[in-house]
Amino acid sequence: MTDGLEFSGLTKRYGSATVLSNVSLHLRPGRVHGLMGENGAGKSTLIKLIAGVVPADAMTLRKDGAEIAVTSPADAAAAGFRIIHQELNLVPQLSVAENILLGQPLPRRLGVLVDWPELARRAEAALAELGIDKIDVWQQAGSLGLGDRMLVKIAAALVSHKGEVAPCLYVLDEPTAALAEAEAEKLFSVIARLKARGAAILYVSHRLNEVMRLCDDVSVLRNGQNVMTAEVGHTSRAEIILQMTGRDVADGYPARSARVAGGEVCRVVAVSSPKLRDLDFILHPGEILGICGLDGAGQTEVLRLFLGLERPKSGQVLLQSSPAPRSPAEAWARGVAYVPRERRSEGLMMRMGTRPNALLPHHAGVWARLAPERTWANDLSGQVGLKSAGPEQSVWRLSGGNQQKVVFARALAGNPRLLLLDEPTRGVDVGAKFEIYKLMRDLSDQGCAILLASSDLPELLGMADRVLVLQGGRQSAILDPAGMAPNDLLHALYPATEMS
Amino acid sequence: MIAYLRQFGTLLGLLVIVVFFAVQLPGTFLTARNLINVSQQISMLAVVAFAMTVVMVMNDFDLSVGSTASLAGVLAAVLFAQGFPVWVGVSAALGIGLVGGVLNGVLVAYLGILPFVATLGTLTVFSGFAFFISGGATIFGRDIPKPFADFSRQGIPLDWLGLAEVKLPYLSLVAVLVLLIVWVLLEHTSYGRRLYAIGGNIEAAHLAGVRVRRLRLSAFAVTGFGAAVAGLMYASRVASANPTQGAGLMLDAIAAVFLGMTMGKEGEPRVLATLVGVLILGILDNGLTQMQVDSYVREMLVGTIVIAAVATSSLGRRG
Ligand SMILES: Nc1ncnc2c1ncn2[C@@H]1O[C@H](COP(=O)(O)OP(=O)(O)OP(=O)(O)O)[C@@H](O)[C@H]1O
Ligand SMILES: [Mg+2]
Repeated sequence: MTDGLEFSGLTKRYGSATVLSNVSLHLRPGRVHGLMGENGAGKSTLIKLIAGVVPADAMTLRKDGAEIAVTSPADAAAAGFRIIHQELNLVPQLSVAENILLGQPLPRRLGVLVDWPELARRAEAALAELGIDKIDVWQQAGSLGLGDRMLVKIAAALVSHKGEVAPCLYVLDEPTAALAEAEAEKLFSVIARLKARGAAILYVSHRLNEVMRLCDDVSVLRNGQNVMTAEVGHTSRAEIILQMTGRDVADGYPARSARVAGGEVCRVVAVSSPKLRDLDFILHPGEILGICGLDGAGQTEVLRLFLGLERPKSGQVLLQSSPAPRSPAEAWARGVAYVPRERRSEGLMMRMGTRPNALLPHHAGVWARLAPERTWANDLSGQVGLKSAGPEQSVWRLSGGNQQKVVFARALAGNPRLLLLDEPTRGVDVGAKFEIYKLMRDLSDQGCAILLASSDLPELLGMADRVLVLQGGRQSAILDPAGMAPNDLLHALYPATEMS
Repeated sequence: MIAYLRQFGTLLGLLVIVVFFAVQLPGTFLTARNLINVSQQISMLAVVAFAMTVVMVMNDFDLSVGSTASLAGVLAAVLFAQGFPVWVGVSAALGIGLVGGVLNGVLVAYLGILPFVATLGTLTVFSGFAFFISGGATIFGRDIPKPFADFSRQGIPLDWLGLAEVKLPYLSLVAVLVLLIVWVLLEHTSYGRRLYAIGGNIEAAHLAGVRVRRLRLSAFAVTGFGAAVAGLMYASRVASANPTQGAGLMLDAIAAVFLGMTMGKEGEPRVLATLVGVLILGILDNGLTQMQVDSYVREMLVGTIVIAAVATSSLGRRG
């Protein structure tokens, strides 16, 4: 008899495409098992099978040697699986507390009435376990930022109530993609605690550093097949990347080849707005200005100054020496391209194909011309390394990282003069990330100015010429990344008084 | 395979209905005369449904189309009764449809009122206004100019097709023309694709540079205009106008679009699919009337068919 969970023969087909073929995994108690693979390799699909949300074509599951069946989310819960899916799925109209206890029987008073104070107490306890006290549990979930939403989802997976099977497996699908560094650290300490309690953990991430640090074992999927399983101590970054991609891929940041030119693309003079204060910078052609801060420090709002969505109360925003655009439509028309932060709610029309999604801002003239657009969409897909079944495949069928590439392709398409990027590589795999960095470099070499808001500090240090630091909406510094380590930058995010 | 069946199930349903009536009503249903007749009977519903498709592409609704149609007919008739020439009455009717549509558009796109609420409100306003200007009476007889009433009684001779005894009615021709215009607009212009983008994700479309408010307003204007066209067609056909005659059009039009949506790849409205929906409703109506089925039985049947079609298509879509 073996202990832990043994999954074997996992197979899933969508139509004629085999997305997973005969994958086996052995998850042992008290160990963190990393799962890596390129975008579209089948990681999320594997998790959906384990969670019982999509039916498997084949799957055998043994828990401590005994075979069990999981064909619905209820089965998965009964088996003690706790799953955090890749896409954020909270109910936006409900309060944080209700979301955390969603799917659990609510605490009752007199048998019928909901015991609201008890509900709040339990939700707060779950958040406290993550070391979080800044989220009001009565707030509507829809009003939370992306990072907070992810934390709420994690908290929801942590709560359990009496009479429930003790959780034996936690599955996390790219939990840190939406988290800032500090919050990710909190998550890691929670994972360490769960591990100490003897649960198995399946951890999906595109961040190699995280996996190397956090995981005991690692498996790599390539085109739906398990091509490698090893103890982390017995493998290396290079080996994992090679197994993921099947080729040698540069892992790092392409160097700047052209110098930043003179002149200016945009200028922000002493701007204050509802969410921003004391913003002052000039962006030169070809320059990449990184923007960083803690979650919700105003990164998105800085970008939106150029879309007419964040209006200055005082000061001036200029694009090529004339007043900034007053609407997104005007912005695109003037050569501004935008990659919004949340691809599903702000970026994509999920039930439409990649072609209409990528080319939406670039329709010119009265008539639609389908054939040239298909060619164009195919070219763009090639450039961003999109893996799809063609330009008309609905975006919701794509893997998370590939959806992100569609949004990036849209920004690339019009040869922008100012590129606004909000977490552009979120959920994108190592190889494709490098391709996106190269595209950014090419654009900047051609004189396109880029504002890059990112919570991935190494990415900022590797790509940006200067880094603007925001603290609670206020511009606190503009730093030169040369010679900086991620930790130096991390320290700069906190107000001076909190540093001791 | 299942995907195809789902997508074309509704078309198959239409075929089944046609075959059913052909068998049940031998010698009368599948005749050129009857089919031409059907095409004329459904032409008003068709025009309203095509116009409705334009707003439903954006996930919006227009509940006021029926009362816009009545209002347009009544306004034209009132002007005729006052001795104005045909072109004045017709232009005024079309104009009021456009104005009503713009009003809906302003309420929905610029004031942010839910389309359901906004157009429910204008539905009653337009209908009240139609009663107001007509004094609640039906306008008919000598008040309706002959050329206006004759329009719906004439058509293009079809003897060159070997069909000497029938003509292709102008009303059917108008419906075909509207179909063509809406089809080109939605499927072959940048405008149409932006409307679909709004329906796909309004926030994403806005951030990607689509002028959402302007487009929504214009789409409601198109729908209002279409409803007015239908109202004029109706008034011409019955050679009279009263403030309630368009009332039945709205629900049938929405039903037709829903039937059509079952054929969309991702459940989106397409105007050619709306045509299939219109044909199903129209042929059912024609055939069941000929079989002398009671009208309330007919209504129950139509409702059941709409629900069944939408239910099967959403069942098939799961997973
Ligand atoms: N409902 C579906 N219909 C058709 N194909 C699908 C569907 N869901 C997923 N796929 C395909 O299955 C493949 C695997 O997708 P999956 O989401 O598992 O990838 P992933 O490894 O999680 O990638 P990422 O790192 O981008 O999240 C992709 O090629 C995707 O297009
Ligand atoms: Mg995934």
